[in-house]
Amino acid sequence: MKHRSRARTRRALGPCACAALLAFGWTPVRADAHDRVTHAPPAEAPPRFEAPAAGSYELPAIDRVGQHQLLGTRGVAEPLIALKDGELALISFVYLQCGEACPLSTAMLRRLDGELAKDPALARRVELVTVSFDPQRDTPTQMRALREKLEPKGRWRFLTAANEAALRPVLADFGQDAVWIPGEDNAPDSLRHVLKVFVVDANGAVRQIYSTGFLDTRLVLADLRTLLPSAR
Amino acid sequence: MATVQRALSLVALALGVAFAAAADETCQSPYLPKLVGQEDFVYVWTLGVDGLGDGSDKLVTVGVNPARGDYGKIVDSLSVGGRNEAHHAGFTDDRRYLWAGGLDTSVIFVFDVGSDPAQPKLVRTIEDFPEKTGWIGPHTFYPIPGRMLITGLSNASDKSGHTGYAEYNNDGTLVRTVRMPPGAEYGYDLRINAHLNRMLSSSFTGHTNYMRKLPELLGDAEAMKKFGNSMVVWDFHARRPLQTLSVPGAPLEIRWALGPEHEYAFTSAALTSKLWGVFRKSDGTFEAVEVGTIGDPAKTPLPVDISLSRDDKTLFVDTFFDGSVRVFDVSNPRSAKQIYEHKIGSQVNMVSQSWDGKRLYFTSSLLANWDGTGHPDEQFLKAFTWDGAKLTPTFAIDFTAEKLGRPHHMHFGQLGFWGAPARAGEVAER
Repeated sequence: MKHRSRARTRRALGPCACAALLAFGWTPVRADAHDRVTHAPPAEAPPRFEAPAAGSYELPAIDRVGQHQLLGTRGVAEPLIALKDGELALISFVYLQCGEACPLSTAMLRRLDGELAKDPALARRVELVTVSFDPQRDTPTQMRALREKLEPKGRWRFLTAANEAALRPVLADFGQDAVWIPGEDNAPDSLRHVLKVFVVDANGAVRQIYSTGFLDTRLVLADLRTLLPSAR
Repeated sequence: MATVQRALSLVALALGVAFAAAADETCQSPYLPKLVGQEDFVYVWTLGVDGLGDGSDKLVTVGVNPARGDYGKIVDSLSVGGRNEAHHAGFTDDRRYLWAGGLDTSVIFVFDVGSDPAQPKLVRTIEDFPEKTGWIGPHTFYPIPGRMLITGLSNASDKSGHTGYAEYNNDGTLVRTVRMPPGAEYGYDLRINAHLNRMLSSSFTGHTNYMRKLPELLGDAEAMKKFGNSMVVWDFHARRPLQTLSVPGAPLEIRWALGPEHEYAFTSAALTSKLWGVFRKSDGTFEAVEVGTIGDPAKTPLPVDISLSRDDKTLFVDTFFDGSVRVFDVSNPRSAKQIYEHKIGSQVNMVSQSWDGKRLYFTSSLLANWDGTGHPDEQFLKAFTWDGAKLTPTFAIDFTAEKLGRPHHMHFGQLGFWGAPARAGEVAER
């Protein structure tokens, strides 16, 4: 049974009593940080631990998600999960005016894209997928512009939804929170959400969920190689 | 009282026992959105008492915002029907649901606190924790992305303290179980430092001990040997134990320092009345170091819950038998200095502080069969302000007079945390 209610995208018109929120992966402000990512991706902090060796641990299925149709950068319907058996997708939910967490996850995916390019056997079996939380502003054209700025080296799709009604079941299925917070004019302004990046296999099994504390390229690569032993 | 304390002193000094537990805003999982402003509610997971009210465990919601009309009042009381030895609780990683456990029945209750923070709703019970995991006595509920880690205090086979932890997804499906390592089989709390990819776990005792009447337990020398004396350092990502540290006297609550460059954690050992620090060394391994003494160990004040301020400088330590809180300056984490002491009541167990450290809440209950041993069995929630030098009382609720039960674990809620609720005038879909 899913927590269907947790993924409702709402617009709160009341006062934002929750300016008082703090967390790894919290996104309270808007900015043009995605532009910063496309020009100069932030460097990863120096590692303070040794990542576990690929294959030395297990990643049991956490949950299972269904198939959903979204819009690609040309405005044509595409499946969210477009994998063959033995392939994995990293699915990240962002919105382009997000100030903090979304650029962080996009920067991590960009670094990962670069690392995967060095390992063609792995890269062939991994797809990155960036999905917008904000279908009204993040149109297919906007998502195409982001793709062009990021210049992916490997498989990296950028998706949005036709409208919020089409997006809502996707967020519910993934257990991904998103709440619109009003700005000064009381209109929806920023989206509050906990940053999550999902590793999903071709059968829809969720094999890993990263939040800010786990957005370490070394850990992601170790996980991908753990789940794809023939690509090690 | 004196007799009980003397008895405890004797066994405590020789062995290692443990008791209560907790969580507050500065000591939550790094993966949980924090409530850093004024909390509107404190949710109190409360043990039922036979003959008192409906006699059942319940989630009690108390208004704690001075700007609201329900300040210091009981806003809601949600009975779960039956007694389970209600103990600890924890939010899911989205802070919409509060999972709460019963140490005796091992039933887990899931409350929706996101839809209407003023009126939690019981939306699910998990009744097969022992069958699915092999553990009993679900204790710590610790959120990680999309999942909940749950420690067991005991196991379903012999009900000893040999145990492990379980990992559930947010929908209540078991993902996996992990057994405590050989030589450190006891379990209690666990806490993660995401910067270091390290998890610490601590150790207590099994169902055969924690459900016994305390005076009877204290008279059983063999039983008193069966308590934890260790902490384990884990590679969290791999869920792999790396090191076992000797921490005699039942190390209970674990509190990682919050500063990103602060690579240490604190715990208190219940029976030896010692504060311990667990420090990362230059080679990446960890060492456990005794950093302070809590009261007079010869009198066994029995340290239970601890709470660390967000600047890592101040540590609050509750001691059950003398009903007091002691405040330590831990600016130098290797040398804790007591700077304040205040008697909260006849007994005290849990302490929770707001993110800014200005408001503290205390509850009285430890375990149903241990409360009131050698002292009056007061049952309360008491609120205070902290100005950096002293506690000032603000309100108190007598849980016996209100026919509620024994108040234990506390968590904070806020109206509008996830957008304004309907009553505040929401909601326009775009």
